[in-house]
Amino acid sequence: MRYYIALIVSKLAYYMIKLIGKDGTYFPGKLAIKICPDFLKHVKKPNIIVGVTGTNGKTTVCNMLIDILEDNNYKVLSNKKGANINYGIASTFLEAKGNEDIAILEIDERSSKLIYPYIKPDYIVCTSFFRDSVRRNAHPEYIINFINSAIPDNTTMILNADDLICSSVAPNNKHIYYAMDKLDTDLKESINIVRDIRVCPKCHSELKYEYLKYHHIGKAYCPNCDFKSPSPNYLGSEIDFNKMHMVIKNDTKISNYPLVSNSIFNTYNEIAVISLLSELKLTPNEIKNSLKKINIVETRFTKETIKGIDIITHLAKGQNPIACSRVFDYVKHESGSKEVIIIIDDVEDNLICSENISWLYDTDFEFLNDKSIKKVIIGGPRYKDNLVRLLLANIDRDKIVAIPHELDTPNYLDFNGIDKVFILHDLHATDLGFKIKSTVKDRILKEVK
Amino acid sequence: MKIEILYSEFANLFGDFANVKYLEKCLPKAKFIYTGIEDVPLFTHDKVDLIYMGPMSESNQELVINKLSKYKKEIKDNIKDNTNFLITGNAIEVFGKYIENDDGSKIDGLGIFNVYSKRNMMKRFNTLVLGNFKDIEIVGFKSQFTQMYGDNSNYFIDVVRGTGINPDSNKEGIKQNNFIATYLLGPILIVNPLFTKYLLSKIGAKDNKLVYEDELLIAYEERLKEFKDPNRNLD
Repeated sequence: MRYYIALIVSKLAYYMIKLIGKDGTYFPGKLAIKICPDFLKHVKKPNIIVGVTGTNGKTTVCNMLIDILEDNNYKVLSNKKGANINYGIASTFLEAKGNEDIAILEIDERSSKLIYPYIKPDYIVCTSFFRDSVRRNAHPEYIINFINSAIPDNTTMILNADDLICSSVAPNNKHIYYAMDKLDTDLKESINIVRDIRVCPKCHSELKYEYLKYHHIGKAYCPNCDFKSPSPNYLGSEIDFNKMHMVIKNDTKISNYPLVSNSIFNTYNEIAVISLLSELKLTPNEIKNSLKKINIVETRFTKETIKGIDIITHLAKGQNPIACSRVFDYVKHESGSKEVIIIIDDVEDNLICSENISWLYDTDFEFLNDKSIKKVIIGGPRYKDNLVRLLLANIDRDKIVAIPHELDTPNYLDFNGIDKVFILHDLHATDLGFKIKSTVKDRILKEVK
Repeated sequence: MKIEILYSEFANLFGDFANVKYLEKCLPKAKFIYTGIEDVPLFTHDKVDLIYMGPMSESNQELVINKLSKYKKEIKDNIKDNTNFLITGNAIEVFGKYIENDDGSKIDGLGIFNVYSKRNMMKRFNTLVLGNFKDIEIVGFKSQFTQMYGDNSNYFIDVVRGTGINPDSNKEGIKQNNFIATYLLGPILIVNPLFTKYLLSKIGAKDNKLVYEDELLIAYEERLKEFKDPNRNLD
């Protein structure tokens, strides 16, 4: 009875919100759960449910899955417009038409205990696990314990074999592993500040790598006992970032796929997507043809060339040391001469409180100390702290501009001899990032011959 | 000069390892010894000028307590002999009587100090801390699942804003002789240049200038202003 009251009241709320033109709010879902705490258990669901979780890459993986499935005529229910917590998922089910074939749900790791008792995904895709927001997610062990205490027994886990933390999730469930083959750029030892697993969990010996991509991601083994990375069911191989092409090896089958991104972390996301879709029995041709049409979602990445200079905006999530480290590494390895604008301060936090800047020291700003990067311009309320961090990253003082106002950052660009301008922005500074991009474009049009 | 870093393979959460990296820059001639979980700590058989340990996951706390329990006597002797210790984040809990889980079960600590901690894994406690240590104003951040109780009359910081070892206390951390332990986490030596100067003088490096001292002080003054502003929240 309570469920039906919750359903009616929350549906009314949903329609009223739609009438006033608001979108993506989780209020109807919150209302439903407040009235009926196990609302998610009773609400009608599609036949197939896929959850996507992990520290980084959830939204990218979800968006790729949705685009490919819809391109192959699946009716997809998703929470892409809304929140990835229990209220957001409840709101998503409220919006459903009831004829959907499949639900693709981005699930916040910390919401596991509020979601999985009621929603039993057929598959959960895990991207990877790293330390994240110190104030909320603490450290990976905490998150894994959270997830493991809640995941339903019958869910098939699609796990990153190159991440020893990820591959240990839900040990009693069925596991399908994906991984990436050796690249020429791989290392034997990590050069990152953060490695969230360094020693063998069995014997505490320092872990070694056959090949390592970044942080703790790679094919690992213990030199002292038999602990090692699991063997993948799906292996991304022959990866060519120039031709934008790879193959996926699955048992004896080898299939070709285009790459949607030239970054390693997004290629992991793509391999995860292909693995899940293959398990759902989409054919390689169906997946490949859809991948050709995909772009990484615009809030994450844009690229435009004006008078021969590439202007690239890229998400660099503040308070997330791994996300920012990956982006800095990506910028360093991009060809050509660059200047980099960075706006990653938590603006709201700095208005009402004072941001905990500990995460800056888990972030590899050292990657920005590269001769291809001519200037680093960092703007925001924490500019004095950011200056200290950049200096301690051994970046020359005369290459650093640290200023309080984000929108002033483009004024310090010097386009002489520059091939690329990167604008790296926090998730909540996406609009600011686009405004800065617009100013950069105007300056290039006026000043560059 | 010898500086021993305990268990850096996992006692390195929340940017705390920057404390070690910063000391390496300020003390280029010092020898930094990284003691792993299966190693015998250097301080058990050799003189060390500073022992550092940072925060870690809950399961690693138990592992560390287990390993260090063999060396309780050596730890107590070093504290008595005025060896410098800097212990940050939840590493402080290792030295207490016990850590109590949500379900009431207890993990014995080293029992060196008459304090104990209680975990609440469903509630992450975050706060700024502004306080005084001698004539030095200290600024820092806490982010933790635990609160500490018991006798810390031998405290480190007199808290002006924020909390001490628990929300009902205004005394943060433990200081006995040159043993300093605090729940403050992150790059506290970078964020508190005046305290870092004090620490360097204690370990015999008084004349060493801080690396990028001017810039550190400017950032410190800005943070002090923010922390003192009553219109700014603690979290």
